[in-house]
Amino acid sequence: MSLLRRPGMLWLALPATAVLLFTYVAPMFGLARMSFNRTLPGGAMQPDWTLATYAEMAADSFNLELTLNSIQLSFTATTFALLLAYPVSLFLFRTESRFRSLLAIIAIGPLLVNGVVRVFGWIAVLGDRGLVNSALLALGLVSEPVRLIYNWTGVTIGLTESLLPYMVLALLAGFGRLDREVEAAAMSLGARPWRVFVRVTLPLSLPAIVLGWLICFILAMSAFVTPKLLGGGRVFVLATQVFEEAVDTVNWPLAAALSVYMLVLLLLFLGAYGALTRRVER
Amino acid sequence: MSHVRLDALSKVYGSNAPAVDDLTLTVERGEFLALLGPSGCGKTTTLRMIAGLVPPTGGTITVGGADVTSLPPYRRNMGLVFQNYALFPHMSVADNIAFGLEMRNLPRSEQTSRIAEALAMVRLEGYEKRRPRELSGGQQQRVALARALVIRPDVLLLDECLSNLDAKLREQMRIEIREIQRRLGITAIFVTHDQVEALTMCDRVALMDRGRLAQVGTPEDVYERPANRFVANFVGRINVMRGEANGASLAVAGAPVAVANAPRTQGTVDVMVRPHRMTIRPEDVAAAAGENRVSGTIGRIVYIGDVIQVAVDTPAGPLVAERTTTGPDWHTLAVGQRVAVAWSAADTLVFPPEAR
Repeated sequence: MSLLRRPGMLWLALPATAVLLFTYVAPMFGLARMSFNRTLPGGAMQPDWTLATYAEMAADSFNLELTLNSIQLSFTATTFALLLAYPVSLFLFRTESRFRSLLAIIAIGPLLVNGVVRVFGWIAVLGDRGLVNSALLALGLVSEPVRLIYNWTGVTIGLTESLLPYMVLALLAGFGRLDREVEAAAMSLGARPWRVFVRVTLPLSLPAIVLGWLICFILAMSAFVTPKLLGGGRVFVLATQVFEEAVDTVNWPLAAALSVYMLVLLLLFLGAYGALTRRVER
Repeated sequence: MSHVRLDALSKVYGSNAPAVDDLTLTVERGEFLALLGPSGCGKTTTLRMIAGLVPPTGGTITVGGADVTSLPPYRRNMGLVFQNYALFPHMSVADNIAFGLEMRNLPRSEQTSRIAEALAMVRLEGYEKRRPRELSGGQQQRVALARALVIRPDVLLLDECLSNLDAKLREQMRIEIREIQRRLGITAIFVTHDQVEALTMCDRVALMDRGRLAQVGTPEDVYERPANRFVANFVGRINVMRGEANGASLAVAGAPVAVANAPRTQGTVDVMVRPHRMTIRPEDVAAAAGENRVSGTIGRIVYIGDVIQVAVDTPAGPLVAERTTTGPDWHTLAVGQRVAVAWSAADTLVFPPEAR
C-alpha cells in the first residue's frame, strides 16, 4: 500500500500493465465488440451494433442448464480438490524434512504435464478396460465394468485432479498465519489434538481455504480440455459450448456473447465472495 | 517435599550432542526457579519437556508425586507462557483466556467470573473484546499470563517471556510477575538468558551449560560463590587473570595474592574478581593488611551514569574496576594516570583454567 503511494514506484508496474493491455484487455474488448455483430443465415458475420445475439442466448433455456452444470461441476471438483489438497499442503507447510522442496515439486509436478496428456492418462486409468475396472473385475467386486469416463463422474475426477496442484500452491501461500507455538499453547491449555485442529488450525487456515477455493473455482469454470475429452460428448458446460459455437457451428457472435456472459458471471461471483469473506473476517 | 522433580532427564536429537544431559533438579512448592543459561544450553528444551511438548529420551518428570513423563501436554495442567506469547490471533482477549476453561468444561457463569478475576490480576479490565493484534507487547504479555494462570495450573512455566519487551517495561513486568507468583503461591519455572532477570525475580537459580546443570543455588550463591568458571563468567561481569597456584599460595604476575579459600590445585589457574569489588587507589599509598593490589596505567574510562568503568593496564593483564559516581572525587581519575587496583582476599575467586 505504502509502495503505491510513492509515485516513483508506479513505474515498476508499467511493463506488466503494458503486456496485459495488449494481450488481455485489448482482445477482451475485441471479443465484446464481436458479440454485438450480426450473424447472417449462411453463417457469415456482419459488423453491426445489435443485441440480437444476447436475446437469442437469453431465450435458449439450454444456456441456463449449461450455467447450472458449470457451477455444479466446478463446485464439486473444487471442494474435492480442497479436501484432498488440505492435508497434503498442511504436511508440506510443516515438514522439516530436508526433502521438503522435492516433495513440494512432486505435489505440483502435474503442472509440468500437458493437460491433454493427463486426460489421456485418466482414460487409461478409468476406461472400461482401465486400471480401476480391471482391478474391480479381478477382485470380483463388480460383474461388468463401471462407467467412469465419458460421463460426469469422469469429468469430476479429471477436473479435481487437474485443480490439485493449484490448490496446493494456493493453500501453501495462504498458510501464513499458522503457528506451531499457538497450537502448542492450545494443547498446554488442555485441548486434545482434534480440538486444537477445530479451534485453532482450521480457523487460522481459513484465509488459505478461501484463497484456494476461489482460484480453483474460477479455473474449474473456465476448464475446457477435461470436460471436452473426458466427457466424451455427453458432458455440456459453458466452456465446451463456447468452443462448439466458435469452431463447429462457426457462430462467432454467439461464442463471443457466451464468453462475455461467463466473464460477467465470474465477476459477479468474485464480488459476492469478496463481500462474504469481508463479513466473515469481521 | 519437592513439588516438581526432574530425574536424570535427557534429550538427544538424532546423533547430535545431547541437548539436555542427565539433568536432576527439584523445585519446591511455591518456589520461583530460574533456568538460566546461554542460548543452546538446553533450558528451553527442559521447559518444553516439563510442559510435555518435547518427549524426553531419558529420565522422569514428577509433579506433586505423580509421574507425568509420558502424559501428553493437554493432560498435565501446566500454565505455559511463550516467548512470542502465542495468543490466538482470531480470538478476543476474553476468548483467549476462556480457552483453557472451555477445555475443562467449566460452567459459563464460573468462566465469566474467572476471566474477570484473571483480567483484574493482570490489570487489563475493559480489554475483553480486543484482539491480540490491537494490544501492545506488554499487554499481550499480560493476556498470555492471564490465560496461563486462569486454569489454576500446578506449575507456571515461563519461556523467555520478557525478552521481547523494551527495558523499562521488562523491569516493571519482572516485579509484576514476581508479585502475582507470590500472591498465588504457585510453583514457577522461568527460562531466561538474562542473569539480571534470574537474580532479581527468582528464589533459586539453576544454571545450565551445554545441556548440563552447572550450579543450583540462591541468587547470592551463584553470584558470590560460583561453583565453576562458567558460572562466574556467565553471572555478572568479571575480570580474569592468569595465576600460578602452588599448594596454599597463589601468585599473579609474580606477586603473591591472598585468597580466602585457598585453591587445592597446582599450576596455572584463572583468578577472577568482579569489577565493582575492585577499587582504584593512589599508587603511592601503602596497601592495607590482607589487601591484594597491582599497579598499572589507566587505559580507558567509560562513563555509564551510575558508575564509571576504569580499565587499567597492569602486569596481570587489563583489569576493569567499577566505581560509583557518588561524590565528586571520581573526576580526579584520568587516562594515563598511574594507579593501584586493589581487592580483598574474600572477593578473589580461583578456578582451574578452561579446558578448551
